[in-house]
Amino acid sequence: MTTDLHHLAAAYALDALDGAERRAFEAHYPSCEICAADVDGYRAVTGSLAAAVAEEPSADLRSRVMNEVAVTRQLSPLSARSSGNDAAFMDRRRRVVASLAAVAAVIAFLVVGNAFLASGSGTDFDDILAAPDAVVTALDGETGSIRVVWSAERDQVAVFANGLADPGAGLLYELWFLLDEGVSPAGLFQPDSDGVVRTVLDVDDLSGTGWGVTIEPEGGSDQPTSAVVYVGVL
Amino acid sequence: MNDVARLRLLRSAATSAPVDDLSAALVAAGRGDERAFGALYDLTVRTVFGIVRRVVRDPAMAEEITQEVYVELWKLAPRYDADKGSASGWIATIAHRRAVDRVRSEQSRRDREVADGRRAVPDFDIVSETVGDDLERERVRHALGLLSETQREAVTLAYYGGHTYREVAALLDVAEGTVKTRIRDGMIKMRDQLGVTP
Repeated sequence: MTTDLHHLAAAYALDALDGAERRAFEAHYPSCEICAADVDGYRAVTGSLAAAVAEEPSADLRSRVMNEVAVTRQLSPLSARSSGNDAAFMDRRRRVVASLAAVAAVIAFLVVGNAFLASGSGTDFDDILAAPDAVVTALDGETGSIRVVWSAERDQVAVFANGLADPGAGLLYELWFLLDEGVSPAGLFQPDSDGVVRTVLDVDDLSGTGWGVTIEPEGGSDQPTSAVVYVGVL
Repeated sequence: MNDVARLRLLRSAATSAPVDDLSAALVAAGRGDERAFGALYDLTVRTVFGIVRRVVRDPAMAEEITQEVYVELWKLAPRYDADKGSASGWIATIAHRRAVDRVRSEQSRRDREVADGRRAVPDFDIVSETVGDDLERERVRHALGLLSETQREAVTLAYYGGHTYREVAALLDVAEGTVKTRIRDGMIKMRDQLGVTP
């Protein structure tokens, strides 16, 4: 577990983080005043670095661009995300497709795995999955995988995970709802000895942009106190 | 000198009025104004194409990505928020991000490095080889000159080389933490030198 997310602002501005770290930092910095200011400052530097290598493209590029623009619809100005996270935003379409695949995978899993879901929480799982508004998000991280199925109608999420590492003595995983500004705690979960998680959490009625997971001391935290270990965009 | 060229020069020399022009063009483009978008293209395409080509190297691929960048800018223009930073910074960020994503997602990295003959450590003169935006180029050259050699190497390999800091560490055969520190210290110096107030 690292706590040096704050030190990644320069590398982030240079696009020098790999995918997982970039997503983790993007989940972190909008809610961190210091990092947000650092990113702004460094982006002005990278803007200068870019301008310093300015170069003329071929003359016909302009008409190619303008022709495509003429037949391209613009996005709605009402964005779930801030305009700064455009690249992440453009990823969302791909993720929606991935999410649909994930729904199928989770349903297939449920059919097969229903036997060991039967104890107690099985019904909740089924209900959340069956909710017409269920949204499945696959979270990326170091080891194993986490899927979060969210029903805004029910104000509940189901957390599925396999192969999750033991967070360590006195620690557990905390799920965060990523908001336009900052994060909101969404509950705690713990893998069993096989690294399996099947937990239903009650969540606040919020409109978020994704999910993040950190490792926190027992009892949980109000704000993340460590680096994001899993993250997924809605 | 035509108007566009003069605007470019103005933009690099002063940071107030012409930037507002760009910002205004972006806002108008966000309302579907294709002419304003054309003006925005004229003001920024050299920077966009220049940085994309620097990263991907292949001119044809660079033009293809540049086109994608502008279509993305057109789509995103309604969401541009002038309060969240300068238009030129926003545009450069989108362009660089798209270029590195392309080289990282494709095999092209290998091709690129084969084409380079050997591992390419961009030297200090990387900035002077190009046509560039004269004044901006001088400012950046000067600022890069104030970095230690190792800081400069880390910053330019990351930004112009399109490498992650982990890749930079592997290329230079130094610890990842060392590269992170060099990048951070280098960027702080650049920021202070270029007179950027966050």
